[in-house]
Amino acid sequence: METNIDLKNIWQQQKSEQPDFKELLEKLSRYKKSNLRKLAFTNIILLLTCAFILFIWFYFQPQLVTTKIGIVICVLGMLIYLLFYNKFSRNLKTIDSTDSNHEYIQNLNALVVKQRFMQTTMFSLYFAMLSIGLSLYFIEYTLMMSLFWACFTYLMTFTWLAINWLYFRPRVIKKQRAKLDELISAFNHLNAQWPEDKNNNDAQA
Amino acid sequence: MDFEKLYKTYWQRIFRVCMGYVNNYSLAQDLTQETFIIVWKQLPKFRNESNIGTWIFRIASNNCLRHIEVENRMKKTTLPIDLKQETLVSVEPKIQFLYKCISELKEIDRIVISLELEEIKQSEIAKIVGLSEVNVRVKIHRIKEKLTQKFKDHGNQY
Repeated sequence: METNIDLKNIWQQQKSEQPDFKELLEKLSRYKKSNLRKLAFTNIILLLTCAFILFIWFYFQPQLVTTKIGIVICVLGMLIYLLFYNKFSRNLKTIDSTDSNHEYIQNLNALVVKQRFMQTTMFSLYFAMLSIGLSLYFIEYTLMMSLFWACFTYLMTFTWLAINWLYFRPRVIKKQRAKLDELISAFNHLNAQWPEDKNNNDAQA
Repeated sequence: MDFEKLYKTYWQRIFRVCMGYVNNYSLAQDLTQETFIIVWKQLPKFRNESNIGTWIFRIASNNCLRHIEVENRMKKTTLPIDLKQETLVSVEPKIQFLYKCISELKEIDRIVISLELEEIKQSEIAKIVGLSEVNVRVKIHRIKEKLTQKFKDHGNQY
């Protein structure tokens, strides 16, 4: 019976067709463009919305300070969200793929845990700021209405905000959390494969 | 450092490591290409402090480990089960069997044995994975034993 199987020899017989170098270069340029497009899209949409809101301010010249505060809170909410979104995209790039596997997995895990916390907090903050901002914004215009229409407008606005806050927000958060929890558990599973031996650090140096 | 030269020199070796990790031909090709995209991006930062081979294998193994994160983020649609184990028809059964056995090991073990079979020094493997040399040696010994046993159990046809 054969006792020494030449694993190395079998392993090295696996061959793959090497794609043309030019194909890789094309893929590289596509990759750069698609990354940039994705980041630019979110930024442009939110910045355009901010610009539109500010345009309303200058065009309609609101009289009450509550309207202006409302606008500022809405715009701030969007800008904070944008800032967080951009920061996260950058963070993902700062993880050094030339670290050892152990450090790499630990860094990725830390980032995902941070993202889980930030995403839910930032999302709630974004919703809260938009709700407060809109409520303040409407004061000036409802004052011009009859009591009935003012109440009606506020009732509709608050109903819409309540649906958002109580229905859509928890749903989005739950979905994001489920996705990230799956990752965290996968990383924990990987992390557990390194023995808890402090001497390992010697090897990583 | 000439990227094209690195691409030609390391493509097959990186492919085998990726293939050992996922045991799926097209996925392994994708992972290999992704590895070279990272290599291309990181190359200007490479200082000759370490061996370029070790450096590339580090990127490749990290990219394999990260695969689950990328898949999660990109929300890839799940492949039908019968497509998952796609392998080249022309590949000999013993090669298929070896890669299948390796891909069933724990993730870190897959990387350790793949690097060993790629004839990377154990001290370098320790640096790539982040384990002590003693741990690497013990792991390699156990994995080889396990693989040999599997080959024997499989009927010693090879």
